[in-house]
Amino acid sequence: MRRLPYLVAVSAALLAAAPVFAQQRNISDTALAAQTCNVCHGSASYVSPTMPPIHGVDATTLFTALTEFKTDKRPYTIMGRIARGYSDEQLKALAEYLSKN
Amino acid sequence: MAKQTFTRRHILAATGAAAAVIGMPHIARAQNGGRVLVIGGGFGGATAARYIKLFDPGIEVTLIERDPAYVTCPFSNYVLGGIRTIEDITHRRDPLQQRYGVKLVHGEATAVDTNARRVRLKDGTQLNYDRLVVAPGIELKYDGVPGWNEQAANTVMPHAWKAGPQTLLLKKQLEAMRDGGTVIVAPPANPFRCPPGPYERVSMIAWYLKTHKPRSKILILDAKDAFSKQGLFMGAWESQYPGMITWIAGKDGGKVESVDPKSMTIKTGFGTEKGDVINIIPPQTAGKIALDAGLAEANGWCAIDPASFASRKAAHVYVLGDASIAGAMPKSGTAANSQAKVVAANVVSSLRGTQAPAAVYHNTCYSLVTPEYGISVTGTYRPGPQGVAEVPNSGGVSPVRADAAFRKSEAEHTAGWYAGIIADTFG
Ligand SMILES: Cc1cc2nc3c(=O)[nH]c(=O)nc-3n(C[C@H](O)[C@H](O)[C@H](O)COP(=O)(O)OP(=O)(O)OC[C@H]3O[C@@H](n4cnc5c(N)ncnc54)[C@H](O)[C@@H]3O)c2cc1C
Repeated sequence: MRRLPYLVAVSAALLAAAPVFAQQRNISDTALAAQTCNVCHGSASYVSPTMPPIHGVDATTLFTALTEFKTDKRPYTIMGRIARGYSDEQLKALAEYLSKN
Repeated sequence: MAKQTFTRRHILAATGAAAAVIGMPHIARAQNGGRVLVIGGGFGGATAARYIKLFDPGIEVTLIERDPAYVTCPFSNYVLGGIRTIEDITHRRDPLQQRYGVKLVHGEATAVDTNARRVRLKDGTQLNYDRLVVAPGIELKYDGVPGWNEQAANTVMPHAWKAGPQTLLLKKQLEAMRDGGTVIVAPPANPFRCPPGPYERVSMIAWYLKTHKPRSKILILDAKDAFSKQGLFMGAWESQYPGMITWIAGKDGGKVESVDPKSMTIKTGFGTEKGDVINIIPPQTAGKIALDAGLAEANGWCAIDPASFASRKAAHVYVLGDASIAGAMPKSGTAANSQAKVVAANVVSSLRGTQAPAAVYHNTCYSLVTPEYGISVTGTYRPGPQGVAEVPNSGGVSPVRADAAFRKSEAEHTAGWYAGIIADTFG
């Protein structure tokens, strides 16, 4: 009889904790790098008034834009300067991550 | 006790590894994710608190901040220029608590015991931590300019280098000045908060004067011989404010030797200048709590590991933003916001005992020369043997030659950046 309240309490605590565990994710190099974009481009839940949204955008579209900025094939204000900070492989990984997050 | 053992096993069987830590207090903390304290709720500290929660909601994050609201330094020059109000640049931190579960503590951290892992607040409260993030911004050196002090700053020679009442004081003085008066702006030597800030300020004061008191002049008495985005600023001043602005480099007599608040004069190596409005931007150090906690070097700034912004002075402590020695990165809000994400990833990884991801940092600083003329500097950075280093052949400033449409587009992105960083910092 005395065991029951303890069990209930602990089970409740575990239940409350369960979604927390479910939400934990490992942070990859790409996942961390992708967060730098948010300061201007916003997130899945916040859209910038002037910068194009990038979260959930098709990976090929993003990668093409980034490489064209990088090589001066597409006009830009600052994105060429930023894209040149990353290798093509890194840009590709970023495009794929952003398309899914 | 036997009963409890049974209970523990029972739950272990039912729920798997997650339950293995129950009943063991020190690991039980880890099961909760750990306890993080953040000192300072500016661009650095608030972003760190938010991203730790985004990466791992199971970590307990407490943000200690002494001011009820955040008045941003970014865009405070536009209050001087008359194109933004102080309300436009004042933000609340409540979403951090409401949407992300960051615990907000209103108070001032006055002592840190890095051995006992404890922070003391002014009201006597003690808070324990597993990891501490220190992001207190800057302290102004009131003894850094002979003749100038806090009283002079609060009356006739404001700094306006922390936004709020100081911004409004400088604005009031500009409004009270006669047409044909002289405004003196005196920026410090490097390093200091926001390298392009003084020159954007001059631009915005010029915008105000051009529209309200066009016979007035601006004199920049600089401790330095060169400054951020110099070519772009000086080119734009020539086209937008011809004849209004004079910049004197340190080597040409710009360096301030002393000031006299009574006569509103400044002595330089080359003579005496009189101003109707005088803005002294003094030398700075890391915020006082970082110094008091023993986290700073003799030069007043905090050395960090460029891969994580972990303190070089104390274990389990991270220092970021203006207070840190960030190598090639300028002391900017965007830089602090970016460093905070790396810190968040490192805090989460170290509490989990996993490897942290590779650090990459970003900075962008927009400046307005007029409401429709924006210029920018941007950079990507990675850890290097000599500290945080810029990735070669990337970043840099806006093109020297560009048409009005290009400048206008960067002015629009200036506003976009501001909205973005507020959302990314406070949620
Ligand atoms: C005029 C001007 C214009 C600028 N424009 C730009 C711009 O356009 N773009 C840009 O990126 N940057 C700009 N900056 C720079 C930017 O403001 C700073 O780099 C940025 O604020 C640094 O962030 P931080 O978190 O390190 O410090 P802060 O923003 O200063 O935040 C520190 C916080 O810690 C709190 N605090 C300090 N000590 C304690 C304590 N002991 N206990 C509790 N709380 C404490 C403070 O109250 C404050 O809220 C500008 C600066 C100036 C002065």
